[in-house]
Amino acid sequence: MPTITKDRALAIAMLIMVAILYVESGNIRPPTSWQTYGSAMFPQILLGVIAILSVLILVRSLFNSDSPQARERRTAMQWLRQNGAVLSLFAFFGLYALVLPVLGYLVSTMAFMVASLALLLGVDTRRKWAINLGVSVTLASLIYVIFHFGLNIWLP
Amino acid sequence: MADFFLHAFALVSSPSVLLLIVIGVLFGIIGGSVPGFTVTMAILVVFPFTFAMDPVSGVSLMVSVFVGGYSGGIVSGVMLGIPGTPSSITTVYDGYPMALRGEPGRALGIGVAASFIGTVISVAVLVFFGPLLASFSMNFRPWEISALIIFALTLVAGLSNGALLKGMLAAALGLLITTVGYDRNSNLRFDFDLPVMSSGFEILPVMIGIFAFSQLMDNIEKLREEKRTRSEAVPDISIPYGRIIRDIASQKTNTIRSSLIGSLIGALPGTGGTVANFISYDQAKKFSRHPERFGTGIPDGIIASEASNSAVAGGAFVPTLALGIPGDLPMAIMMGVLILHGITPGPLMFEQNPVLVGAIYASLLVGAVVMVLCQLLLVRWFARIALIPQQILVPAVLMLCAIGAYALNNNLFDIWVLFGFGIVGYLLWKAEVPLTPLILGVVLGNNLEQQLFRALDLDGNWLTFLTRPLSATFLALAVISVIFSLYQNRKIQQKAALNQ
Repeated sequence: MPTITKDRALAIAMLIMVAILYVESGNIRPPTSWQTYGSAMFPQILLGVIAILSVLILVRSLFNSDSPQARERRTAMQWLRQNGAVLSLFAFFGLYALVLPVLGYLVSTMAFMVASLALLLGVDTRRKWAINLGVSVTLASLIYVIFHFGLNIWLP
Repeated sequence: MADFFLHAFALVSSPSVLLLIVIGVLFGIIGGSVPGFTVTMAILVVFPFTFAMDPVSGVSLMVSVFVGGYSGGIVSGVMLGIPGTPSSITTVYDGYPMALRGEPGRALGIGVAASFIGTVISVAVLVFFGPLLASFSMNFRPWEISALIIFALTLVAGLSNGALLKGMLAAALGLLITTVGYDRNSNLRFDFDLPVMSSGFEILPVMIGIFAFSQLMDNIEKLREEKRTRSEAVPDISIPYGRIIRDIASQKTNTIRSSLIGSLIGALPGTGGTVANFISYDQAKKFSRHPERFGTGIPDGIIASEASNSAVAGGAFVPTLALGIPGDLPMAIMMGVLILHGITPGPLMFEQNPVLVGAIYASLLVGAVVMVLCQLLLVRWFARIALIPQQILVPAVLMLCAIGAYALNNNLFDIWVLFGFGIVGYLLWKAEVPLTPLILGVVLGNNLEQQLFRALDLDGNWLTFLTRPLSATFLALAVISVIFSLYQNRKIQQKAALNQ
């Protein structure tokens, strides 16, 4: 059974996306009598190009099955452990975007900064906590002051 | 001409704009000197602050970040042996050995002086060639513009780390992103019945999401892989001014040649500071009477590297301003900022916005002077700032990106766009898809579609693209660039096979 490599995953993901968008492009209004080409034409050309390139990448990856990339196998747990910090940072950012309109800029930004710094810097010493809180509070407040009073841009 | 310059300088010399230039240069130097932060990231972080500014102030701020950023790589390159930006890799070859030999001040001084000269020469190139190119491109009609955009995209895709297929895929994806929302005929496309999607995606949150997330997350991953061994102590730095003047004077040809290489490479789509850096270093070595001494800490190498990467700043403005086609990532973002301020770069910009074009020239020059002063006076502090750990930098930049995206239209949807494209950008980065063609696709997508269909509305025959001499030339160049990169890929693969 062929292994899932980066190239194969990319090609398959692109082909799935092309299929979905091609179906969706059917909902685009057809050209009127005075239009030579309709609004669906440009995206459909691009979808065609992406599909051809994806197939080429897929075919090439099947011929390169002996590459070190193809030989490298990892379990889902190993992958999660290796990418834990990055995945958590994405999760924190998603949560930040979610709570920003509810809690407002200052509270949610400080919470995001404290959580992210704790994740990346660690929480094992008092010094790290002091750096964490100092950076989070100072930066969030400074940005607020600059935007709100200096630039007249209202933050949520 | 003289009146035009005087007017531009008067605008840029107003105290408020001057202050912005100083801030921009300082921030650029800091951005360039912190390893892993890059000039592009510095520009992304600064752009939300331009929302509330008039175009001249906003553009001056952004331009000064460029000037500072391209010179900032010297600091960490010389002091830490780590290039602050990819465009200062070759600075490390001679800068770091010179610093280890006990002459960090001399290495920094030579780099700063070469950066200054490189920027000034590149402004001259911009002043002379920008209007020439713009007036030439006034003859371009939709066929030529479409073909030129296709050529620029294939060139950028082909030059992307030898990954031609993925580069072209990225460019097509970038173009596809611009098709979301209402089109030229006011028809809705790919909105998935979600009203928030109807106006499409703002360019800037898409660009920031794609670039910043992948870059920052990559920095986090590298932290895990490499334990940094650099010393926290910054040695005392004193700049030997007389010695530096002698060093530069003895390297006149090298300085001018490297500055011209940087300007020319900057003007080519798909290249940029890193390519200019390597080519001019290589040329300096080839023309040198003592090539064997390169890499041991000689002024020749530092001058070649720093003059060329700083000259890229001015050169890269030539196609961006004259044709509306950005050559690299920082310029793509700069173009996004110009569009945000209601200015469309292209041939007409020189006629319709001469004041702004003048302000760009003037702020490049004033920025270069401010850069020299800041670097020479504050270099000790910059060396310390270069030690800011990524663990602190990454969350701070992510937060600034979010606020920048929100402040664009006071719209929370833009933060979700940033987040969504952040995930997409990171996944593509992991799949080794080059992101520069994708971002250029996003910037050029609407223009390509408009021009392509304007051409087809005027003449429904697709063959017209091949019968008009200029558009046929651009399309032929596009094909040649694809064939050339295929040939290059093959050579790289053969070399790799031989090495195994």
